[in-house]
Amino acid sequence: MTPRVVPFGESALLVELGDEFQESTVRRARGIADHWETVLGFGPAVPAYASAVLRFDPLRTAPADAQSVAESLLARGELTLIADDTPGRVVEIPTTYDGPDLAGTAERSNLSVADLIRLHAEREYTAYFLGFLPGTAYCGRLDPRIVAPRLERPRERVPAGSVAIADGQTIVYPLASPGGWRLIGRTDLVMFDPGAAEPVRIRAGDRVRFVPL
Amino acid sequence: MIHVGDAGLRSTVQDRGRFGHLRSGVPPAGAADAFALAAANALVGNADDAAGIEIIGGPFSFTCDDSRVVAVAGRDVSLATRSRLPGWTSVFVRAGQVVTVHAGERTRFAYVAVSGGIETTPILGSRAAYLPAGLGTSLRAGDALPLGDTQAGAEDAARGVDPTVYDGRIRAMAGPHDDRFEGDAIARFFNDAFVVEPASDRQGVRLGDVPIAPRTGELLSCGIVAGAVQVPRGGAPIVLLADHQTTGGYPVIATVIAADLGKVAQSLPGESLRFYRVERDTAVDALRAERRALDGARVSA
Repeated sequence: MTPRVVPFGESALLVELGDEFQESTVRRARGIADHWETVLGFGPAVPAYASAVLRFDPLRTAPADAQSVAESLLARGELTLIADDTPGRVVEIPTTYDGPDLAGTAERSNLSVADLIRLHAEREYTAYFLGFLPGTAYCGRLDPRIVAPRLERPRERVPAGSVAIADGQTIVYPLASPGGWRLIGRTDLVMFDPGAAEPVRIRAGDRVRFVPL
Repeated sequence: MIHVGDAGLRSTVQDRGRFGHLRSGVPPAGAADAFALAAANALVGNADDAAGIEIIGGPFSFTCDDSRVVAVAGRDVSLATRSRLPGWTSVFVRAGQVVTVHAGERTRFAYVAVSGGIETTPILGSRAAYLPAGLGTSLRAGDALPLGDTQAGAEDAARGVDPTVYDGRIRAMAGPHDDRFEGDAIARFFNDAFVVEPASDRQGVRLGDVPIAPRTGELLSCGIVAGAVQVPRGGAPIVLLADHQTTGGYPVIATVIAADLGKVAQSLPGESLRFYRVERDTAVDALRAERRALDGARVSA
């Protein structure tokens, strides 16, 4: 698809960079969001795999003006990442690999359970963006030998701290919630603490390692 | 302080919402019927960002330690002190005087504003409760909450704002994913009536009856906003409200304009909604009209 900016209601714009998820697109989406929020100060922005939602107050900024600014950001190609000025942070997640989907996912992938754990734990992942629920960092990519589509029927309740995989990525569920990812383990780390100076354990751009216990 | 007597089924402190941590996955929360809270705040002379109380399921009653101006707004609401008074009107109450918020048969959310505003400690820049993550709590009988200072007095009572007409006629802009649907799906969305399902809450209003399936094809998760009408594979749309997740992977066929989202939030299971297609200019004009109505009602305290 051609990259474009489309209205998302009267108070936001959606910048679409493509319909495939690539590391370069993730970084570009974050750069656009950073500029919108921090440099231009129009309002909050939410980047994702290949898009960014840019919010603004339409009673202060005419939507057509906001849209032309967004289009100029899109035209500028790679933008400097502002929220990412301390790259290189590594977050370790101590993990007990005993999730209810561990054996089934290993079998589906033609791997032993030990090999699945090794493949999941030996990689260093990148946190692409946060979304879904407070502190949920989408991290990738999984070793392609791990075959883990989302569950056909999502669980009504996934416990907080569940380490899960799906569609080439891995997350930790920060709160008990419904969820359709495959649960392979769990951690005692608190992923979201609203009282802490840094409320989220994993920030976008962090590198993430799972350490087997 | 404000002292809660009867606490209703679920009552929480809400303001305009928490927009500073969307990128950490923290939903905005805030009043589900934003205009109703804004009207109640304007009527008692509070700033736009003041916090009030959102009430689900009455009865809710309270007293204040000192005299205050109060207002109740929402769908089908009224309040009682010594006498019964209509909603969407400011009332002067004395210290210790019991105020009871009456929810009618069609009330889903009622809002109380007290002059000075509820001044609980903000969490992550907002007082809005988001219960799934433990931000704020559900109020209980006997709770006491701090109030801000106020200059509003008896002379500021008896002002009014025209109540929202909760008529199920909802204006929406097409998209942003309207090109992920067949043309007749868009036409049906803006033509048919949708019945509100019981499984609706502060996160979203679920609609039944008219399946409008998107074309097959994965959609990469992207950021979303309140008002987005998501269409999962099954085709039963969900209109997202204040507690929506910050990102989602379902195509969004249309986005309800901000001025009409309170009508969606207040709709009851079994009622029907109809969506009317408008362009962005109309949506902004509607917001501007709301702003004028609030400015006209605001007491100059």
